[in-house]
Amino acid sequence: MAQLTGDVEKHTALYVEAFNSGDADAVNAMYTEDAVAVWEPGVPLTGRARIESVEQWLAAKPKMTATPRHSFVTGDTALLIVDWKIDTTDANGEPEQLTGVGVDVLRLGEDGNWRYAIDDPFGEK
Amino acid sequence: MAFTVDIDFDNPDLTADTDLQNEIFLQVFNSGDGELFDKLYRDDAISNFSGEPLTGEARLAFFKEFLATKPQLQAEVTHSYVAGDVALIGVHFVIDGTDSEGKPMHLEGNCTDVLRRGTDGRWLMAVDRPVAGSLLPE
Repeated sequence: MAQLTGDVEKHTALYVEAFNSGDADAVNAMYTEDAVAVWEPGVPLTGRARIESVEQWLAAKPKMTATPRHSFVTGDTALLIVDWKIDTTDANGEPEQLTGVGVDVLRLGEDGNWRYAIDDPFGEK
Repeated sequence: MAFTVDIDFDNPDLTADTDLQNEIFLQVFNSGDGELFDKLYRDDAISNFSGEPLTGEARLAFFKEFLATKPQLQAEVTHSYVAGDVALIGVHFVIDGTDSEGKPMHLEGNCTDVLRRGTDGRWLMAVDRPVAGSLLPE
């Protein structure tokens, strides 16, 4: 079940909850229709390809923790800088830990809820 | 200075073209006119150039003060993602000038910019954030 919020500070926590539940539909509901995600550095995905990449990622049942470091919120657009960590398994089934500093751009929809417009998990190196 | 880019400061538009956005941003910054530079930002935009998030009058006051000595900015776009009416642009920048005491100033770093297209189709700055934290000397 997708959970959206009008409080941008809560968005990251709800996203982590949806991600860790393994519910790809719930995760995808937290993106705008024309959102861009760059989960593989240098390879921006949008539309159907982005939606399917979420499904592929969640198949390995990864667990994420995320702590927002900075948030810059204007009327209808926000920039969040987020420290995150994902415990997952690699292609050989071995445990793998990924970490990064995400640069997330959110848009406030007409329904009063924030959604990811741009999700760049390795946006700050 | 004369602008070689086509910009109407009554209806400023950074355009949908990333390279042109960068060129307009550079030329207006380098003109030293903080009031014109501030017009490239949405009313509620947040600028972190000073090292703290500024908007409205405080943002304008900072731009006027910081650009008064005409520091010269060079910037190269490192990446750009556009999602409908919002864009995330990464740039590598170099700024050379003199500080308020007349000493040479050299700043270099990366900056993340969020741009928004308004309902009238014009693109403007919504958030800037130098990754180093500030454009001011340490």
